[in-house]
Amino acid sequence: MMTNEKKILLFLVDDDELFLKSLIIDFADNTESVVQTFLTGEQCVENISQNPDVVILDYNLNSVDKNAINGLETLDRIKAINPLTPVIMLSSQDKIEVAVNCMKHQAFDYIVKSETAFVRLQKTITTIFHYQEIEKALSWYMEKM
Amino acid sequence: MTNDRRRMNNIRQSISQSNYHRHHKINTMETISSRRQESRYTRSLIEASRDPLFTINPEGKITDINNASVNITEVTRENLIGTDFFEYFTEPEKAREIYKQVFAEGFVADYPLTIRDGKLTEVLFNGSVYKDEFGKVLGVVVVARDITDHRIVEKELMKAKKRAESATRIAEKAKNKAEFATQIAEEAVKSKQQFLSNMSHEIRTPMNAIIGFTKVLLKTDLNAKQKEYLNAIKISGDALTVLINDILDLAKVDAGKMIFEQVPFKMAASILAMIHLFETKIQEKNLLLKKEYDNNIPNVLVGDPVRLHQIILNLVSNAVKFTIKGEITVSVRLLNEDKDSVTIEFSVTDTGIGIPGDRLEHIFENFQQASSETARLYGGTGLGLAIAKQLIESQGGTITAKSKLGAGSTFSFILPFQKTDAEVELITETKELNAVVENIKVLVVEDIRLNQLLMKTLLDDFRFEHEIAADGKIAIEKLQNKSYDIILMDLHMPVMDGFEATEYIRNKMHSQIPIIALTADVTTADLEKCKSVGMNDYISKPLDERILFSKIADLLKKSMPVQDICLPADRSEYVDLTYLKKRTKANPELMREMILLYLKQTPSLISQMKQATYDKDWDSVYSAVHKMIPSFSIMGIHKDFEDMAKKVQEYSSTQKHLDEVQELVLKLDNVCSKACEELEEKLKLIKRPK
Repeated sequence: MMTNEKKILLFLVDDDELFLKSLIIDFADNTESVVQTFLTGEQCVENISQNPDVVILDYNLNSVDKNAINGLETLDRIKAINPLTPVIMLSSQDKIEVAVNCMKHQAFDYIVKSETAFVRLQKTITTIFHYQEIEKALSWYMEKM
Repeated sequence: MTNDRRRMNNIRQSISQSNYHRHHKINTMETISSRRQESRYTRSLIEASRDPLFTINPEGKITDINNASVNITEVTRENLIGTDFFEYFTEPEKAREIYKQVFAEGFVADYPLTIRDGKLTEVLFNGSVYKDEFGKVLGVVVVARDITDHRIVEKELMKAKKRAESATRIAEKAKNKAEFATQIAEEAVKSKQQFLSNMSHEIRTPMNAIIGFTKVLLKTDLNAKQKEYLNAIKISGDALTVLINDILDLAKVDAGKMIFEQVPFKMAASILAMIHLFETKIQEKNLLLKKEYDNNIPNVLVGDPVRLHQIILNLVSNAVKFTIKGEITVSVRLLNEDKDSVTIEFSVTDTGIGIPGDRLEHIFENFQQASSETARLYGGTGLGLAIAKQLIESQGGTITAKSKLGAGSTFSFILPFQKTDAEVELITETKELNAVVENIKVLVVEDIRLNQLLMKTLLDDFRFEHEIAADGKIAIEKLQNKSYDIILMDLHMPVMDGFEATEYIRNKMHSQIPIIALTADVTTADLEKCKSVGMNDYISKPLDERILFSKIADLLKKSMPVQDICLPADRSEYVDLTYLKKRTKANPELMREMILLYLKQTPSLISQMKQATYDKDWDSVYSAVHKMIPSFSIMGIHKDFEDMAKKVQEYSSTQKHLDEVQELVLKLDNVCSKACEELEEKLKLIKRPK
């Protein structure tokens, strides 16, 4: 009667391996999601055809490799390929202009890397799915009309 | 001289006059020709209109018309001109009134009338007066817009709208009906599950005692007959337990409650350990066992090894069961490999009795065997293949069977696995029983006397020290007075149950002592609850002593090195692994990986930051320090130092207080080097095998 729900595909993009690993550990306990990690924005964009349900993207992606594309550019490229892919931005800097910038480039939310980042991420992901459900229901009704 | 001048003037004047005349003449000619053109142009505009246009004089007689009027009235132009305008409408009085209104007000707009033609064309009447250059009214220009098409479209639209509305209503009704049906179905599934879960609980509890005490009895001095009878009880008990577990598994898969793990494991070792279990049985039956393993399969893969075991166990045990002579081949082949994943085909081939062609398609259905005699001759419930199929398909794989009656069968299944970094070696192989675990103090929390006694005998066998507490409250009292290595906790007890007790131990006593839940009921939400209150693992009753031992050994191995590093942690000045321990659930493997990563990336970030400060390359300082900031809290480095790093970030991005950056960078360098030293020490402690 009930079908097995499809697992959620998460993309984590961060060139800070330590923080990346800590997120992997956090998500590892969550059996509903499959996590794929990338150290650069380029790798993430190359794999975007897998249609991740949520992308978690670091704002500063070129601190190790100066020539790598940064978070915003990665965000733009993702949005250019699929504008509906929800992207949550991460940054260790709590700055209004960073936040505003992220929003301008169509990020779903902006989260500061801290002890509570993971909890916020989880909450944001829940919110994203909540929105998507509402939108789906809405479009169903619109179609019926 | 003066005459000459006068003459000259006269000539000049006459030339300019003649010029004037010539110009004037040309202008007049141009005006006439352009007027003609304008009139033709106007006429063509009027004729182009698809709406009838009339001009009417003050007496109501038609003075001019366009072609559209001829077409609609079906009267020739000659016959129309000079006739009474009002006669062409079904209500001439109304038309006359409108006409008067045009004269009175100068215009009228969108007045509905019907033309008296063959079809009674409905029109909207628009008119305005026209005047001569002195303002005298000469007549009225009238446009009668044909709105027949408009009316048709309007009607169609209304119809379509009505149809759409009724379709929506039908859809709504169907949806409600479907929702209602789904609700009933869901409730049915729920109650079925509840029933199975209750039943399993009721059966498992006494089974636990029966099997457990049979095992205990078997270890006492017995004569041959007694031993034979007891073995018979044990075998029947084991078979019954397998059946109950099968039914529960199937119910779980059916209800979509089966959760598949995604953990890294060693494929080759896992398969070998699995086949190993059958070796005695295969030798007993004098069969040959062949193993074919494709060495191109990556060493470590991510998937659910427990479920993989279960599938292979089902297939191999079938093969062994139905083969009297010959051989059994287990082969594992790499079918496909890409960047992230592999597809592997597992097949089990036997030279057994085979399956008739017409039964082959039903072989994967619940409670189906190749023939109704099969059960009588070979035993089994007919659930094994159904479970295997469900387990495979829920993981996105497929299973197929080929067979020839009397010659043997081949069961193959294909499953995808994720690839992983070779470094990530979380080994989840079957634990070896002979691991040395000594001087273990176990606290058993269990209210049922029978189970207490059984636990006591099992733990005696393991040579573990143990104490019994009859409920959660007693357990907590005992914990406060004495230290234990591990707790085995029943879930349902009087006074204080296992969940409450665990919550108290974790949150009030802040103890991370390993707790294993003992439960007879694994289908309900209990398991989730076990995890959420902070239990480390669970064992389902009836207890399998080997599983109990390996779970205890496993948990103690995990927690011991961590307990060891607790002491030096207090001596550390810079790092504090409490947070990391919490994040990794005290998993030594994960802690090791995290610390290694820190040790790998921090020194290069520090040197980048130092060099960039020296070069006054503030962007580079910014990006290095920016990347370092999250690591402070992960490694428990003091907030003051994190704030220092944040200051460097702030100053280098705003390019202010740059004179302070140098000093801060030096301080950070010092702190991080010390932290790295301390972490190297801790790493040794975690690494040390216990």
